[in-house]
Amino acid sequence: TLRLIYTTTAVQRKNVGASGPEKYTEEFIKKQIEEFNLGKRHLANMMGEDPETFTQEGIDRAIAYLFPSGLFDKRARPIMKHPSEIFPEQRKIQWGEDGRPFHFLFYTGKQSYYSLMHETYEKFLNVQRYQDQLAAQDLPPQKEKKNLAGSRWLTKIELEEMLLEKLSDDDYSRFIQLLQKLMTLPCGDTEEKYIEKFLREVPAQLKKVAIEPLKYDERGVAFSTGEGARKTARATAVVYDNGSGKMTVNGIDILHYFPVLQDREQLLFPFQFLGRVGKHDTVCTVSGGGRSSQAGAIRLASAKALRSFVTEKEVEFMRQAGLLTYDPRVKERKKPGQEGARRKFTWKKR
Amino acid sequence: RLTQVRWSRYNPSFIEPEVNKELQQKPWEELSEEEKQKMELKAVQPIKAAPPSLSSSVFSDPMISKFTNMMMKDGNKVLARSLMAQTLETIKRKQLEKYHKAPEEEKEKIECNPYVIFHQALKNCQPVIGLSSITRGGKTYQVPVPLKDNRKRFLAMKWLITECRENKHRRTMMPEKLSQELLQAFNNEGPIIKKKHVLHKMAEANRAYAHYRWW
Repeated sequence: TLRLIYTTTAVQRKNVGASGPEKYTEEFIKKQIEEFNLGKRHLANMMGEDPETFTQEGIDRAIAYLFPSGLFDKRARPIMKHPSEIFPEQRKIQWGEDGRPFHFLFYTGKQSYYSLMHETYEKFLNVQRYQDQLAAQDLPPQKEKKNLAGSRWLTKIELEEMLLEKLSDDDYSRFIQLLQKLMTLPCGDTEEKYIEKFLREVPAQLKKVAIEPLKYDERGVAFSTGEGARKTARATAVVYDNGSGKMTVNGIDILHYFPVLQDREQLLFPFQFLGRVGKHDTVCTVSGGGRSSQAGAIRLASAKALRSFVTEKEVEFMRQAGLLTYDPRVKERKKPGQEGARRKFTWKKR
Repeated sequence: RLTQVRWSRYNPSFIEPEVNKELQQKPWEELSEEEKQKMELKAVQPIKAAPPSLSSSVFSDPMISKFTNMMMKDGNKVLARSLMAQTLETIKRKQLEKYHKAPEEEKEKIECNPYVIFHQALKNCQPVIGLSSITRGGKTYQVPVPLKDNRKRFLAMKWLITECRENKHRRTMMPEKLSQELLQAFNNEGPIIKKKHVLHKMAEANRAYAHYRWW
């Protein structure tokens, strides 16, 4: 038996659009939209606001005021949203009254997937023809290389939602391979617009955490604080400027608190990496955990504190050296039927 | 929901950290195209935390920390590390003795840096080709097989450690015995080099079965 430990919310969402033929008719949804708009105007009148400029936030506030609910689950409380958000997008009926399907690829089973593949391949052939034309006349122009790092392809689930059809892993990989092939050729502007539909932006990891500005002491010395944790140890570090490299932990000097060389190496790692070994004074407090996890917690705390003293590029280098990530490794639990987390009981033949 | 047997607390998209100060000091223009692309890719990917045995200081060496971990028993890293430090010290002392006793011409040839001796000794101990047991038609044959780098390093370190633990007098300390073996391996003598040659000879003898390998 197998069990997945790390999942993202994307995996847990169900793709209702691809599940079957439509459950709501078009007229039903149109009626719902009319009712929603009428209800919006009534609400606006009740709350005393202008019905024309009544936003979704206003609706949420009004509902929370008129129907107060003490339920814990937010999804169980009364909501009033536009029907397109409540009723998931579904495939409309794909055949007419006489039973004849509209799309020419209906009987393949995955009509939107195959039509998409046909379109993409057509673009590919166009680009090749264009290349051949250029080769006949002059040298082909150099394509400006797009930044591949800042964007990613659509995931399988996103593609399924776009097409409203279920796909297999094989289909998805074939489509992505075709797109990649198209990317590698020196292609024209039209193709770029078509490809952009299938690209999603990936923000740089640095921007996700904001760097705090430096704070100033009563004596005028700049300092900054950082917090770190590792296993069960929690540490806070205050790094002062214009220091001589002294480090104090819970009021005790590091030579006495950490008799092992490895721990002291870990404490000095961020400073040594940035080349600022003798320039900062540090005062730390730490509790919990053991000898090594306390050292790791203080290392993370001082690295976080040093971010405010240093340029963005150096922060990026620190992140790539693994100094700024929280270590998620903890002791694995013991399972029933086994002696430890992984060790099984001795196998006895009888 | 499915688990694999080898899973980790990190998401599979996380990448190993790189603790190389030289990369940091190179200015942007000097980097080649490939390296620039790599850097840009890295900027978007999350990175794992550096383990406690890894540090950017001059004194931490990945080979030496791997060797220390292999020497460790019952999780006693303190003891293993002190043994390693004592070994390197004894190597240095022995080499310095030899240095001061040797005549002028030979003084340049004697290597005094224990790290260099350690690396060279390990390189000399690494086998080039290994044996793998393949079952064909009921019989198990020992087939000569090229080894990967990791496997070579592991075998060299394993042989060193087992040799030092078993074939010594009860009263000799581990650092002394280890330094002896390392110096012998550095000069291509000693029991570990012999073991490597024996393995090579076995592989040569079983050369006929080499076609049984399919990878």
